[in-house]
Amino acid sequence: MTMWLPLLGLVLGISLGLVSDLQIPQVYGNYLSIAVLAALDTLFGGIRAHLQQVYDDKVFVSGFFFNIALAAALAFLGVHLGVDLYLAAVFAFGVRLFQNIAVIRRILLAKWTDREKKLNTNVPERKDLS
Amino acid sequence: MRKTIHWRFTLILLIVGFMTAVQYNTLKVPEIRDTRDIWAIRKELSSEKQSHSELLSEIRELDKTIHTYESLNNENAGQALSTTVDKLNRQAGRMDTIGPGIIVEVRPSAESVAFGIPITGISPDLLTRFVNELNRFKGIVLEIDGKRYTTLSSIRDINGVTAVNGINIATPPFTMKIISPTLSDSEKLYNFLSASTIQDDFYLDNFTLDIGKPIQELKISGWTEKFKNEFLKEIPKGE
Repeated sequence: MTMWLPLLGLVLGISLGLVSDLQIPQVYGNYLSIAVLAALDTLFGGIRAHLQQVYDDKVFVSGFFFNIALAAALAFLGVHLGVDLYLAAVFAFGVRLFQNIAVIRRILLAKWTDREKKLNTNVPERKDLS
Repeated sequence: MRKTIHWRFTLILLIVGFMTAVQYNTLKVPEIRDTRDIWAIRKELSSEKQSHSELLSEIRELDKTIHTYESLNNENAGQALSTTVDKLNRQAGRMDTIGPGIIVEVRPSAESVAFGIPITGISPDLLTRFVNELNRFKGIVLEIDGKRYTTLSSIRDINGVTAVNGINIATPPFTMKIISPTLSDSEKLYNFLSASTIQDDFYLDNFTLDIGKPIQELKISGWTEKFKNEFLKEIPKGE
């Protein structure tokens, strides 16, 4: 049951954003997109840490806000230096996102194969019993 | 412990979802279709270019004035100022002007004379319309029945008689003089007025508009009344 709570949060957030019809000026579009990317990165990092049993509340929450702020600051600096520095953030977050998702996938796969093995080992026992 | 983790994830996901939705909203600005064809765009471009060139010539003129002020030493400053005052007076229509132009005569139409319709004065609306038609042309100097028409002039009905600058206009026939910057401008104005529908408007009021051929030298006297200065104030010295 609690598994669906985060998903509900996501749906609620999206609908809240769509219903409020909030728009930010085009100039700040870059910042928001990079902030979204940073948030996603932290989120998947959190999921991975949770699956690896190394999840820490403080690291997760502080990382979430700090990454967003850092990404936005980097984009801001880039605009003022005339260098597309936000690309660096996009690259870094993108790479980490892929790595995190890959790790999550592996962990889930390992869990799944574990369960299969258990099932397979259990079945013959039952056969033997019958 | 697990419960708090879920709550935190929920909260973070809520923020992520909200940010994504806002980003989506921002990017989903309805596209305004540009339905102008190439000629409409060209027309717009040409009008912009015209205003550009007008602004440039204005800047050049002002630069010239600044240069005059700078090049003159203190003794001649008075002279430079009086030149500027003269120029401003000319712009305001207080100086006599001589230049190429046309004479337009407003007369009662032949039919109204034949039928014995009483001749009434020209209506302020019709006269204003005529002046507006003329104002399509830049740099013209206008005189209506001996009254200099400036930017501050008024055309209005005073006790049933049409007046310009507060002075009555005679019942037709009367003449109007229009001076243009050059003779070719006068010709353009002549052609424009000859083809304009403003003549029909005059005819509806039982008048005809006699547009004279452009002549090389026409004189219009300046506006002799004093200006009432309501808005400009002299700055005290030393400020």
